[in-house]
Amino acid sequence: MPGRSPSQTVGPYYAIALPWKDGGRVTGCSGERVVLEGHILDGAGQPVPDALVETWQAPDRGAAPSKDGKPHGFGRVSADASGLFRIETAMPAGPVPYLDVTILARGLLRHLHTRVYFADEARVRGDAAVAPLASSPRLATLIARKAAAGEYRWDVRLQGEGETVFFAA
Amino acid sequence: MNDMTRPDATDPPYLYPGYRSTALRAPKQALVQLPAGTLDIPFARVGAAFVGKDDNDLTVHGKHGAPLGERMILTGRLLDESGRPIRQSLVEIWQANASGRYHHVGDQHDAPLDPHFHGLGRTMTDDEGRYRFMTVKPGSYPWPNHANAWRPQHIHFSLLGNAPVQRLVTQMYFPGDPLLALDPIYQSIPEGARERLICRLDLDAGVENFALGYHFDIVLAGAKSTPLGI
Repeated sequence: MPGRSPSQTVGPYYAIALPWKDGGRVTGCSGERVVLEGHILDGAGQPVPDALVETWQAPDRGAAPSKDGKPHGFGRVSADASGLFRIETAMPAGPVPYLDVTILARGLLRHLHTRVYFADEARVRGDAAVAPLASSPRLATLIARKAAAGEYRWDVRLQGEGETVFFAA
Repeated sequence: MNDMTRPDATDPPYLYPGYRSTALRAPKQALVQLPAGTLDIPFARVGAAFVGKDDNDLTVHGKHGAPLGERMILTGRLLDESGRPIRQSLVEIWQANASGRYHHVGDQHDAPLDPHFHGLGRTMTDDEGRYRFMTVKPGSYPWPNHANAWRPQHIHFSLLGNAPVQRLVTQMYFPGDPLLALDPIYQSIPEGARERLICRLDLDAGVENFALGYHFDIVLAGAKSTPLGI
């Protein structure tokens, strides 16, 4: 049995390869339009301008591959100079909708895995997947705030006060 | 070792003081466990149309000529931990040019840019999990982590795999590089696992009188999921 390959940081120069054209516009998912915006912040509360954010949700069943081969249900976008990222997608399916989120950056020797929920806190607390957090105030770090119709805000704090919950992955 | 270290001692810890950028970016709270199998689900599938004909030949991306440097052919397989090939899966790479400079606005290292080298490549694995790139050997370059810090020669890799649990971003190194012993990013990997990121010379993978060959296998976490729609 071969040994698993260890992770290494994405480094500061991934932008020559990883951000895709229209990577922040998720395709292949139907439903209410959702725009998700937020900042990635470090342990000093400073924006992280060189982070890559990936989102995943199951695309519609039977969705044919997109013409240009870009995967459905998948978002990949760089934060801008102010640490702001923006993903445009459709409301994920399921009773307590969420996106799987991966954060990569210089200084992260392995990616971080988290979730962003689009539901009120009571419903998220009832989600069996996050049962270990059911009575934790930290659960709130996984919930997007509705800013306007179809627009959500969600900041990711890598470290320190209000540190986002990250999952073993 | 802290509770951020993965139980099988393969990945680096998030906080590694020798690599300064981890200081304010490593989470301090323990990772939370999701129920077993939660991330072993079908994942993003890239269609073959995503990859252009010459995307795996980094030596032909200049408009008016070939890049400087030591031409090399890099082949290998993408596997899971039980040795099964990861088929029809996207492999993305990026690297510095032969002088140790990235084609990136943020790279201010005083080494020449090569107008004939952009340093990014893509390919899909075949049904045996094999991939192949033509490129030039990247140069070492200094970075501001500590006094006289130089990165060992390396090529960055990004792999999606078949399930979110298999997502991997890593770096490939070269055999015999004396900078490996001094590089905190490489040294952050637990002993016994770090050597897996060193490719091996494979003259048979090269082309006589034209390009050196190297071989590098990448092993992703095991997953039950098979590709969506296959």
